[in-house]
Amino acid sequence: MEPFFLPASPTSPEVSFEFARHHLSIRGESYPENAAAFYGPVIDRLRSYLALCDGQAIDVHVALAYFNSSSTKMLFAIFEALNDAAIFGNEVRLHWYRDEEDDTIQEFGQELRDDFSSLEFVDCVLPAGHA
Amino acid sequence: MNGLPATDFTANGAIPLQYQQFQEFWRAASERQVIFFYAGYFSQHVVSAIAETIRARLDAAGTAGPTSRRIFSAFVEMSQNIMHYSADALTPAEQPDRQIRGGAFCIGVCGERFHLLCANPVASERVEAIRARIEPLCAMTVDEIRSAYRTALRQAAPEDSKGAGLGLLTMARDASAPLAFHFLPDSTDAGRTVFCIAATI
Repeated sequence: MEPFFLPASPTSPEVSFEFARHHLSIRGESYPENAAAFYGPVIDRLRSYLALCDGQAIDVHVALAYFNSSSTKMLFAIFEALNDAAIFGNEVRLHWYRDEEDDTIQEFGQELRDDFSSLEFVDCVLPAGHA
Repeated sequence: MNGLPATDFTANGAIPLQYQQFQEFWRAASERQVIFFYAGYFSQHVVSAIAETIRARLDAAGTAGPTSRRIFSAFVEMSQNIMHYSADALTPAEQPDRQIRGGAFCIGVCGERFHLLCANPVASERVEAIRARIEPLCAMTVDEIRSAYRTALRQAAPEDSKGAGLGLLTMARDASAPLAFHFLPDSTDAGRTVFCIAATI
């Protein structure tokens, strides 16, 4: 499958899905004007890829310094798709990066852990000011 | 700013700028510890540009990371709310992106606290629906807000929402005191009401 890449903009993250390597990353800031329009194609490509995965080890890296309320909902849909793939027999490792001072992102990571228990969750704490 | 004449005249005798009034306006804002004020049209570019200056200012002032992040988050929610929902729109109501809508936003400081306020006109017939959505949040405890947030995160977005119905809950979650809101008559349009939200951080 062709890799999927979106460069970062001031209000949207870099999305880099290297399907051949089974390495997916989302990093930056996320407050696009229309989160559904931004994440719609991202989620579509992700689902197409996951539909082809069987017994695959998949590495996911999410390093978002900030995301707004409408992005939150979309991120939840992304993790839901990944969790479904894990239930289906893939091994999905989610690296969740957060600034050590950022309790909002820490709490959201906890929500993900609670809801998507099939994901192997890796908490990656960055020193304050480096997220 | 001292020693400016009260008015200045162009060649044709018109008064281009009321320096005196401008200075009074500026001074009134400074005395009230207003560190940022914007009234006009909000587009995604404007939100992004203001975000950059707010962040730089909070960093320069040495504002604590968690406080700074909450101010930033509440600003984004408030300004995008204006961009998505204000009745004062320069772009067609049904246009899904590149929206430009009018409102006002301000940040004031009071001791250790920051006060964020936003205002925009809404159609008067929408007032009760908005009130029904925001009023319960103002009476919730911190734990109730967190619980409502977690529930909303897992629910489908409301019909009339362009986001996830999480915007107001996010503001409430970021604030260190209950949200406050107010509806004021719109002096320029009888069919509209000005919706104001205040968040203390």
